[in-house]
Amino acid sequence: MALPFPRFRLNPLTAKKVRRFREIRRGYVSFIILITLIVLSFAAELLVNSRPLALRYEGRWYFPTYGAIHRGREFGLGYEYEANYRELKAKLAQEPGRGNFVLLPPVPYNPYENSYPQEFYKPRPPNLGERHLLGTDQLNRDVLARLVYGFRKALIFAGSFIVLTYLVGVSLGCAMGYFGGWLDLVGQRLIEIWSLVPFLFVVIIVASIVSAYGGMNLGWLLAIVVMFSWTGITYYMRTNTYREKARDYVHAAQVLGASTTRIIFVHVLPNVLSTIVTFAPFTVASAISALTALDFLGYGLPPPTPSWGELLRQGTANLNAPWIVASAFSALVTVLVLVTFIGEAVREAFDPKKFTTYR
Amino acid sequence: MYTPHFARVLPLLAAALLLSACGRKDAADGTSTRPTAKSAATGPMAADLKATLDREKDFYVVKAAADLPANLKWENGSDLPEFADPNAKKGGTFNYFIQDFPRTLRVIGPDATGGIREYLWDYVEMYPAVEHPNVPGRVYPGFAKEWAADRATRTVYYRINENARWSDGRPVTTDDVVFTLYMLRSPHIREPWYNDFHTKTWEKVTVYDRHVYALTMKELRPDFVVRASQGFYLFPKHAMADFGPDYIEKYQWRVVPTLGAYTLHEADIDKGRSVTLSRVKDWWARDQKFWRGRYNPDRFRLTVIRDMEKVFESFVRGDLDYFPSNTMTVVPKYWYESLPDNHPDVAGGYIHKAKFFNQIPRPDWGLWINRSKPVLDEQEIRTGIQYASNFDRVANQFFRGDAVQMNTRSDGYSWRTHPSITARKFDPIKAREHFAKAGFTEQGPDGILRNARGQRLSFTITTYRPDIRDIMAILKSEATKAGLEFNLEVLDSTTGWKKVQEKGHEIALVALSRSPELFPRYWEMYHGSNAYADAYLGADGKPVERFADGKPNPSQKQPRVQTNNMTMTFIPELDRLIEAYDKADTLDEMKRLAAQIEEIIYKDAAWVPGWATLFYRTAYWRWVKWPEGFNVMLSRTALEYFLFSIDTEAREQTKAAKRRGETFPAQVKVFDQFKEK
Repeated sequence: MALPFPRFRLNPLTAKKVRRFREIRRGYVSFIILITLIVLSFAAELLVNSRPLALRYEGRWYFPTYGAIHRGREFGLGYEYEANYRELKAKLAQEPGRGNFVLLPPVPYNPYENSYPQEFYKPRPPNLGERHLLGTDQLNRDVLARLVYGFRKALIFAGSFIVLTYLVGVSLGCAMGYFGGWLDLVGQRLIEIWSLVPFLFVVIIVASIVSAYGGMNLGWLLAIVVMFSWTGITYYMRTNTYREKARDYVHAAQVLGASTTRIIFVHVLPNVLSTIVTFAPFTVASAISALTALDFLGYGLPPPTPSWGELLRQGTANLNAPWIVASAFSALVTVLVLVTFIGEAVREAFDPKKFTTYR
Repeated sequence: MYTPHFARVLPLLAAALLLSACGRKDAADGTSTRPTAKSAATGPMAADLKATLDREKDFYVVKAAADLPANLKWENGSDLPEFADPNAKKGGTFNYFIQDFPRTLRVIGPDATGGIREYLWDYVEMYPAVEHPNVPGRVYPGFAKEWAADRATRTVYYRINENARWSDGRPVTTDDVVFTLYMLRSPHIREPWYNDFHTKTWEKVTVYDRHVYALTMKELRPDFVVRASQGFYLFPKHAMADFGPDYIEKYQWRVVPTLGAYTLHEADIDKGRSVTLSRVKDWWARDQKFWRGRYNPDRFRLTVIRDMEKVFESFVRGDLDYFPSNTMTVVPKYWYESLPDNHPDVAGGYIHKAKFFNQIPRPDWGLWINRSKPVLDEQEIRTGIQYASNFDRVANQFFRGDAVQMNTRSDGYSWRTHPSITARKFDPIKAREHFAKAGFTEQGPDGILRNARGQRLSFTITTYRPDIRDIMAILKSEATKAGLEFNLEVLDSTTGWKKVQEKGHEIALVALSRSPELFPRYWEMYHGSNAYADAYLGADGKPVERFADGKPNPSQKQPRVQTNNMTMTFIPELDRLIEAYDKADTLDEMKRLAAQIEEIIYKDAAWVPGWATLFYRTAYWRWVKWPEGFNVMLSRTALEYFLFSIDTEAREQTKAAKRRGETFPAQVKVFDQFKEK
């Protein structure tokens, strides 16, 4: 909670709310699990990766996880492109006693590579011996690797989505509530019109145009989805600000000569923050769903980017390979349920009325 | 506390799943117009037709029967072999599917392609004479009884069969021929391709009497009888009284009489759900050679099923009689995993599997490299890309050895244009050598080559066929071995087609489908005038004169859009060969020129040959019967020539046997009589 505003620190009331959140066990446990998953996904290169954690070859140490590629030629594999470390490991195992070894991560596959280069492309069921814990997809890629890296993409997307929608939504909402008058009147009408645009269809249309003429990437996709999603939060910020504006502390600040920006961001915003905090988990859920839906329909990130929507589509097109759709579906449901539990707990903890139906 | 905003975004995924799973229920608007009683002789169409005929007297020529040249050599193809089984059983219902309910019952104009047009028209309707599917270059009678070719005047004479009847019983006459040309040249059909084709192809039509007419072509090609006949569908003048500016709307849901074996009755349209075609009662050609033994089922039911997995499940359940051969061929899992030879229904002999080698021009899948883009304008780079594209892996590991890499632009034509050109096989070392010659020598930390200016060797591959995204992913991952990066851009069909036609792509992985023709076309794909709007022109003084010495036209500034020259090839030497090729009137001359053309195309390296499948395969229930030899050489799908029949007794027998657990001999057949050598 360290925002660059001096008076913005955990006041006793907020501390109480946080305590209440921790007491709601279902939400708190979900929160711990989700945070663990998030942290793990950001360390994915160390857990699910074709590059080794450590490698010793002819007396030299290599740590190729991050950074530039090492050519196959450097390890006597005789090609210019990136070394295949599983192949290298097998090769080194045949010439023991030279102190060479490869330490691979628990799941030694990256989300792009064909695990069976010599064989046909077809989904293969989970195989613990080969460390394909969730099997492979129709291009022989490890399903778990694609899930993990797809999850990270979804998190980055959801995180940026929440920051951007709230930045736009909160600023405009507060401005309308605080200044009122014509700005409010006109702004509200524009938002009403904008929010009536059918979300998915317009996003699909814009996405297909951007793909053709800009080249789709995470940034563009984010911009498009945010463009049609920021309106929701403005309603709440507007009414809350409108209410807070009439309170004595705002008048006091005005009398003391505080600037409008200072009043809005330092005095009013912390008091309407509970609204934002309560909505945040649901916004994350909606962002993940939106990304998955777009990827599922083929309007999301370009192939071969790992994503949950793409896995779901593969799964529904390969019903004879149930491990694909089962993995993607379970992962999606798990994360959405966790987020929803957290959201409910936050809402209850931050509820000014202590007794709610969620008890 | 849920807000409109969140309520709108949260169920997105559910909406997306539903969108992909549900059938369209809103396809038809419920309006239906019945043919009016208005006479074709007095309606607004009649007046416009008369005015057009008067205005274009040089095109629509009327002569007396006595003017018919006396020395014509009439032919009727009676020496050709029959290809259907004349004893095939008539009757029964054939159950099949369509992915989308048709948006119109018109066969031309907006939204007409796709849907049910194939079964209502393309596979069913008759031409005056039809190319023999086992003897390319020869024709057998359709609605014409006989024909006579006069090479000297580039004219083909046709005598309409006096027994030919529309499905409403009215006779076919030369009035219908004249009306058809008038209609297809009219802007009211809103289909520029037909307008263009029927303007560019014919010099004139001459009518001699109610049954004899002649078409004069603008160009003489070796197979000009096939060209004049094939694709010349007829429209019934008497049922088109309302033809006019509002043709599109008026005929949206109207079935017009047909010459073919199947038609559609209004009662058989279940909007949004299914369409059932019926055999025309007492079809006039049912006993005619080349037509008997075909179009056997009484009913042809098409149920809307959007999702291919569901189609498969319906087929295995016995709701559909046949699984589409194109899907079975290009998606290997249906043949190998979903319906393997040891599948209980296959092993029990209830479902039969068949693989049939056809011989048709293959769709020209491949990488179309846009020569007008920076870096790609260097031949060494393009040659490097040839070696860096692993279509061999696509053919052998993605298609599991069922596909081959193509070699030339003319693979699958009944004569090979070049005896020795073969595709450059995947070879990262050779690819790197060629990239090095163009200055890309350093490999960056990401494994991608760079030149001295630090520019990365990275290009975008575009496609408008989302179903091949996996193949693109394979090409991408293989290309990195050669230090080349491919970014992938999978667009929906409309946006992607537009981008490629506007030459906005760097590299396109697409294919143009090609109808069975005797020899390949080059002008559309390779002539300079289809690359640049200011290439050549000359005569009327605009842009630049064509050079006699063959040097490139320096004015290559305006890309010409909406053409199939997707490689933006502009090589004057090649243009001269293509022009000579298009004027050549003997097959030997064309063959000689085509070989030279293929050599230039190979050297220029702007088209990386992709994959081709030399057969199609399918699965069908035991009660679907096929002629001996299964199908014909030029067939693109097993249904195309309607050679199958339904054995209703076998249907009952099979279903009863399956219930009792009795089996039949398993049948997995391979028909390779037409296999390419």
